[in-house]
Amino acid sequence: MSTMSLRGLSKSFGNVQAVNNLDLNVEGGEFLSLLGPSGCGKTTTLQMVAGFLPPTAGKVLVEGEDITYVVPEKRDMGIVFQSYALFPHMTIAQNVGFGLEMRKMKRPQLQERVDEALSMVRLSGLEDRYPSQLSGGQRQRVAIARVLAIRPRVLLLDEPMSNLDAKLRGDMHVELRALQRRLGITTILVTHDQVEAMTMSDRIAVMTGGKIAELGTPQQVYDKPVSEFAYRFLGQTNEINGEISVSDAGSTAVRVGSASIPVEASEAPQGGAIKLFVRPERLRICPADNSKVKGKITTRLFLGGVWFYDIDSDIGHLRVSAPNLGAAQADEGETVGIDWNPGDMQVATPEVANG
Amino acid sequence: MSNKRIDQNGPIALAFHVLLTVFILAPLVVVVVASFSDKDFISMPFDGASLRWYREILDAPELISAFWLSIRLAFASATLAAVVAVPAALAIARHRFVGRDAVMAFLMSPMMIPHVVLGVAFLRFFSIMGWTGSFFAMVLVHALIVVPFSLRLTLAAVIGLERDAENAARSLGASRFVAFRRILLPLIMPGVAGGWVLCFIQSFDEVTMTIFVATPGTTTLPVALYHRIAFLSDPVTTSVSTVMIVGTVVFMFALDRIVGLDKVLIGKK
Repeated sequence: MSTMSLRGLSKSFGNVQAVNNLDLNVEGGEFLSLLGPSGCGKTTTLQMVAGFLPPTAGKVLVEGEDITYVVPEKRDMGIVFQSYALFPHMTIAQNVGFGLEMRKMKRPQLQERVDEALSMVRLSGLEDRYPSQLSGGQRQRVAIARVLAIRPRVLLLDEPMSNLDAKLRGDMHVELRALQRRLGITTILVTHDQVEAMTMSDRIAVMTGGKIAELGTPQQVYDKPVSEFAYRFLGQTNEINGEISVSDAGSTAVRVGSASIPVEASEAPQGGAIKLFVRPERLRICPADNSKVKGKITTRLFLGGVWFYDIDSDIGHLRVSAPNLGAAQADEGETVGIDWNPGDMQVATPEVANG
Repeated sequence: MSNKRIDQNGPIALAFHVLLTVFILAPLVVVVVASFSDKDFISMPFDGASLRWYREILDAPELISAFWLSIRLAFASATLAAVVAVPAALAIARHRFVGRDAVMAFLMSPMMIPHVVLGVAFLRFFSIMGWTGSFFAMVLVHALIVVPFSLRLTLAAVIGLERDAENAARSLGASRFVAFRRILLPLIMPGVAGGWVLCFIQSFDEVTMTIFVATPGTTTLPVALYHRIAFLSDPVTTSVSTVMIVGTVVFMFALDRIVGLDKVLIGKK
């Protein structure tokens, strides 16, 4: 159960600031994901944690010990790569035993640890095969067993599931999460796959431009993100442009065309431009009479589990999603009302240009 | 419509291939056939067969010692070239440093410079340095002219390789050197070995440059054959050639059986 913290970690390549003054604390036994689009600095961060890249500035601490410039082989970390990086010229047992061999462990004990690691990933019996004789999913398990065998202080996962097909990936998420909980091993996952990050993590750090834009539990970062970036990057969202209007009674609303949407108090000045965000699943289709907002359905999409309705409304273009409970609620071209619960329309901090 | 399959050659292409193959094989066939002559000169077609020119090889100790010298020279220079090429390939493929292109161009240059020019240059250089007749000096110059072959194949192997396996090994506790020896080197071995074989063949075969620097004590087999044919023109050259052809075929066959020729010559995994 090792804690880890990154303090002011930065890395620049020439003029490009890949990681910019990053601060992050990871609890012992926590599963934390660095989630972001490619080029957001998540992989560079992991490389610095693993010791493959020296940072330009800042520190990496494990249990309070400064390991910023310690060579990778002395860090006691386990890393699983997207490519699995198995040693093709060694058997599965030799692969899994490699880290132990480097630690000069004696034969019988080494054998025992290899067996234990392989049984954890349910691969017992494949010891004498070579990586080329295994399926993608099995190779992935070998890569995991190989790092678990050394009982690392921190487990680093670099997009480890990207090469698996969707079904297998889903199974691996559940299995790896259960294994991580059971072993209580501090884990950092780097991924661009938000479903992966949400299903596995205790906390997610959403990254953009070398910085953390959003940090919190999966539910926090999805439901109540602070940044516009997280709103746009995670799931789907509707953006509504309006302006602030404060009533005489002191309640704040956002005026969009002729409609007025009550929101929680905002610091923005009277008449100031403001953006509202709302998730498609927080909007409901209702009868057009007496509804806050009306609109005409331009497109209806069926995705199996849900329906999507794209609606041209009084307050702009909106997407509404509704669970598929047997029949569609409305047809294309129909005029419908749109409703939501108070608090579902949210304000976020605008994105600032990176500099 | 004929029922010609799409993977069959047309008559012109077929004729071209047959002619080309004949053109390549004909000189070899002539040499092999001539080596069984019973005459004192190279004759084609011959009217009496014998193995006397094969027996004659055994009575030409200078050819046998030249053969062993060529083997030793090829072995040593191919090995030296590999020792130079591996770190050079790693540096060129993985790092951006000042003079990177220059180093690359320099190591590849022996392939571009005519061997005659190199021969004259080294003849002069050896005599100034007092290295004339030194086996060690011969190894150096042969390594120099074969290193491009080794570098090209090793480079191809290194470029095709992800760094992940090496990084994984480091993270598992292997030092830089152990990761190189246990992980990286085995992974690029097909390229290194292929380069070594090509270098060996190149060195063994080299005559243009070697003829300038060879001395009576350091005569390679190709040089010895050249001298012999220039002065004697007896069929021993053909019998030696036949032995070499058979030896090469056996060697290539064995190599293909043991590791696969694709692997060695193209660096395929």
